Amino acid sequence: MALMPKRVKHRKSQRGRIRGDASRGNRVVFGDFGLQAEQPGWLAAATIEAGRIAASQYLRNEGRLYVRVFPHKSITSIPLETRMGKGKGEPEFWAAVIKPGTVLYEIGGVSEEAARVCLARLAHKMPIRVRFVKRRVM
Amino acid sequence: MSDSLEVVARPTTGTRESRRLRRQGFVPAVLYGHGEKCVDLATRREALEAVIRHGGRIVELKGAVKTSALVRDLQWDTYGVQPLHVDLVRVDKTERIKVRVPLDLRGEAPGHRAGGTVNMVLHEIEIECTPDTIPEKIHVHVGKLDVGGMIKVHDIELPAGAKAVTDGEETAVSCTVTIHKTDEAAPAGAAEPEIIGRKAGEEGEAAAGEG
Repeated sequence: MALMPKRVKHRKSQRGRIRGDASRGNRVVFGDFGLQAEQPGWLAAATIEAGRIAASQYLRNEGRLYVRVFPHKSITSIPLETRMGKGKGEPEFWAAVIKPGTVLYEIGGVSEEAARVCLARLAHKMPIRVRFVKRRVM
Repeated sequence: MSDSLEVVARPTTGTRESRRLRRQGFVPAVLYGHGEKCVDLATRREALEAVIRHGGRIVELKGAVKTSALVRDLQWDTYGVQPLHVDLVRVDKTERIKVRVPLDLRGEAPGHRAGGTVNMVLHEIEIECTPDTIPEKIHVHVGKLDVGGMIKVHDIELPAGAKAVTDGEETAVSCTVTIHKTDEAAPAGAAEPEIIGRKAGEEGEAAAGEG
């Protein structure tokens, strides 16, 4: 079961525009290393889950993975070969809105080499350009 | 040993002036403390980055102001690559100051070998010490940490003369067995979230109406 909110006020949302950089959620807070978005985009719930599985399969029982994003936005689509009109489509999936700079995943309790390999595997699942970041001391 | 940092006076303030300064390779700074007047300064970005790289917390200011100062706060850009602003506080060599120092785990925990995960609950603690004795890191030895065990702040060995400001009863490091979720699909629950302010019977009708 993919991630989605438990309760929402409205089933459908407007597309919106992703403007500016992330001013929150742009630091490694829980772990020691992280994966930071360099581009804006939507991260589907299935993609977030795919990343989590890729990381947990590499980590096995070592360390800890933190998922820093949650899919709050419902994305709708209309079926193929449908005529124009008849209103907005039905929700297809849920996505997280990602601004450049957002930390998507964090890893703690493993060496830097292991974290780099793990996050590189995870990065292949991402639809946007990402980079490896470390916790900043000051 | 403290690094030296060349600073120049900054006659202008504000967002636009600060941006102009940054484009010229400077980083806006401010110096305050000891009940003296607050001074607006600027420093070369490379010089500040060198101080940060060395892990120095105390800097000897040169140029427009000649004093010892503590790097209290640093503001970074979105990606955490370029420093945007630095807060400096005047300090005396003799006075005791409060600083946050990162923790560094040393050794291998027996609990880790037994299948547990070592969790750093606190990544840094606040200590009180003199400017000369600020450690770069505080080493936490986890050689005796078993599964279910924890190291509290008062168990951490601090450098001579330093006193912990963070509550001693707070857990700094723990060793627990992580229960990993299986990767198989979880049993199917509700396919759609509950709509706030709408009764269960209305949902289907409303959805049909919307579509």
